[in-house]
Amino acid sequence: MIANSHVRAWRDLANVVAIVDVIPEKARGFAEGNKIDRWYTSVNEALEKCEFDIVDVCTPTFTHCEIAVEAMNNGKHVLCEKPIALTLEDADKMIKASEKNKVKFMVAHCLRFWNEYRIVKESIDRGEIGEPRIARAYRYISFPLWGGWQREMEKSGGVLIDMGIHDLDYLRWIIGEVKEVYANGGILKSKGTDAHDYLHVLLKFEGEAIAFVESSWIHPKSHPFTYGLEVVGERGMLKFSRETSEVVQLWTEGGGETISPLKRDAISLEIEHFLNCIESGEEPLVTGLEARKSLEVALAAIRSVEEGRPVRLPLNGGSI
Amino acid sequence: MMNDPLKIGIVSFAHMHAWSYLRALSEIEEGELSAIFEEDPERRRALESRFPDIAIYSDLREMLAREKLDAVIITSENARHISHAREAMLRGLHIMVEKPITTRLEDADEILSLAEREDLIVQTAFPMRYHDATVIVRDLIERGSIGEILVITATNHGRYPGGWFGVKELSGGGAMMDHTVHTADLMRWYTGDEVKKVYAVRGRNIRENLEVDDIGLISLTFNGGVIGSIDCSWSRPSTYPIWGDVWLLVIGTKGCIYVDAFASRVESVIEGDRLRWKYSGADADKVMIRDFIRCVEEGRRPRADGFDGRQALEITLAAYKSVEGGGVVQLPLGK
Repeated sequence: MIANSHVRAWRDLANVVAIVDVIPEKARGFAEGNKIDRWYTSVNEALEKCEFDIVDVCTPTFTHCEIAVEAMNNGKHVLCEKPIALTLEDADKMIKASEKNKVKFMVAHCLRFWNEYRIVKESIDRGEIGEPRIARAYRYISFPLWGGWQREMEKSGGVLIDMGIHDLDYLRWIIGEVKEVYANGGILKSKGTDAHDYLHVLLKFEGEAIAFVESSWIHPKSHPFTYGLEVVGERGMLKFSRETSEVVQLWTEGGGETISPLKRDAISLEIEHFLNCIESGEEPLVTGLEARKSLEVALAAIRSVEEGRPVRLPLNGGSI
Repeated sequence: MMNDPLKIGIVSFAHMHAWSYLRALSEIEEGELSAIFEEDPERRRALESRFPDIAIYSDLREMLAREKLDAVIITSENARHISHAREAMLRGLHIMVEKPITTRLEDADEILSLAEREDLIVQTAFPMRYHDATVIVRDLIERGSIGEILVITATNHGRYPGGWFGVKELSGGGAMMDHTVHTADLMRWYTGDEVKKVYAVRGRNIRENLEVDDIGLISLTFNGGVIGSIDCSWSRPSTYPIWGDVWLLVIGTKGCIYVDAFASRVESVIEGDRLRWKYSGADADKVMIRDFIRCVEEGRRPRADGFDGRQALEITLAAYKSVEGGGVVQLPLGK
């Protein structure tokens, strides 16, 4: 699903040469819809038959590692959708592949390119609110039904690894490393799934800051996707939410929607950044290692739910 | 025919809510302010000049002995609630106690047993049970609008209130002591259930030289499985446009409810001053005081009684125990 916005952004910045999807009709439809000449049903096939520099991995999380490693072993730079993987072992394989093949590898934690989140980061970096002491970050939506794979814990990691990791990664970026987590929640509402649909996480950071992260897939279907952030430091606070960001509202007989007025969205800025890194040789903002650390926090939170106690980082052994 | 108004004394203006209760009393006919106990000379002078017709005492026993009171409102420093409540109850007076009811569980239990023995009404001042916005939420839940409750997420942010709130001996603790009980009580009220497990974190203070905690986060698990959380932090800067918030998200099997109880506002900006939000919502204090008086007259159990105050305090104390290295704390707390 994220592929739509990625392709839209890529087309403005580079030449998209091929689409890969295991389902032939999907690959073909997507390619034709986006006026892309070639489509394939496996990465291998694309690697064999086509020339390109970059692979953008927008597949379900459980397939990230295999595809990314194969692409990197063939000398391709890889932009991988978040989360990096479902286990630390897989994340390590991906990091090693990027080092061994000397290719650029970035994980698409798009909040780091999202306007409001960037403004908060820049304000903190300028010292405007002093050292962050407490933060609150949330995202709320109904259970994602579009992929099917989100229902399976082994494929998506559940609500925190699939969605909450955005906030975990962002808070690490603005505050620092996490020392300990406690999480509460689990499968509260959804039927026919073994994936967590609600978690809240209490985080303790190295610098003695604390944070609350809440991730819900148990909101009703009619509820719009909602997110927000609040950070309070020694000298002040920064706060925004979807309601204060998406200031254009459209209402029709069928319902309403809110629209962000920004011409360049986070995905486009993220892809441009990745291209710039490939050209300049600089390290991307979200390296494999960065993404791995964010995954580790999420895995610790899941372990905390399962064991009913706070969990300290780093983890020993990192599977769900 | 209406009864004579109930004669009410206010015990201390240490807590700023006393001013709002006094205003509420002046606006209703069922009760009247008869006497004030105030030890602090500065506050006494302020009261004397504003209420020249009301007897103001610097000795609580003297006030209780001389005045023919029906009830007192106790708005002293948190840690002094117990001694003031004891004095009043031993004189046969009904009490409304500012939250938190006390700072120690054994003190709350003493109030409960005195109430039982002397047959007195004890109301804990939980105005959120009388606030139109949070009452609507309760009605929606009762009507089944969102199905069974799964999660309640709450914030009760505030500015730093200053004064004795920052003195542990008088307050019993900082933000966690001040701001856990309101939303903990609403959660108990909405779910009709008690908390089973408490885990909390406290970070490095926003205000470095404060001796009490000014930030905290609490995770709760109720007996029936409902998951709750409270951000009790005094995390609003002194220039914030209003004192703080009471915000809740209640998620159920069929829907969810948001309430931002003090967001009703008129925005006011005067040259040379910061932005201020003039609160335009419901007057919960007035409804609460009126109900207290009716409960006393009719011998009825208040919407939030002493036991409710005690249970909310227990959650707070469990949160403190958790941050002091207690990990996940099981309720009820042992002696």
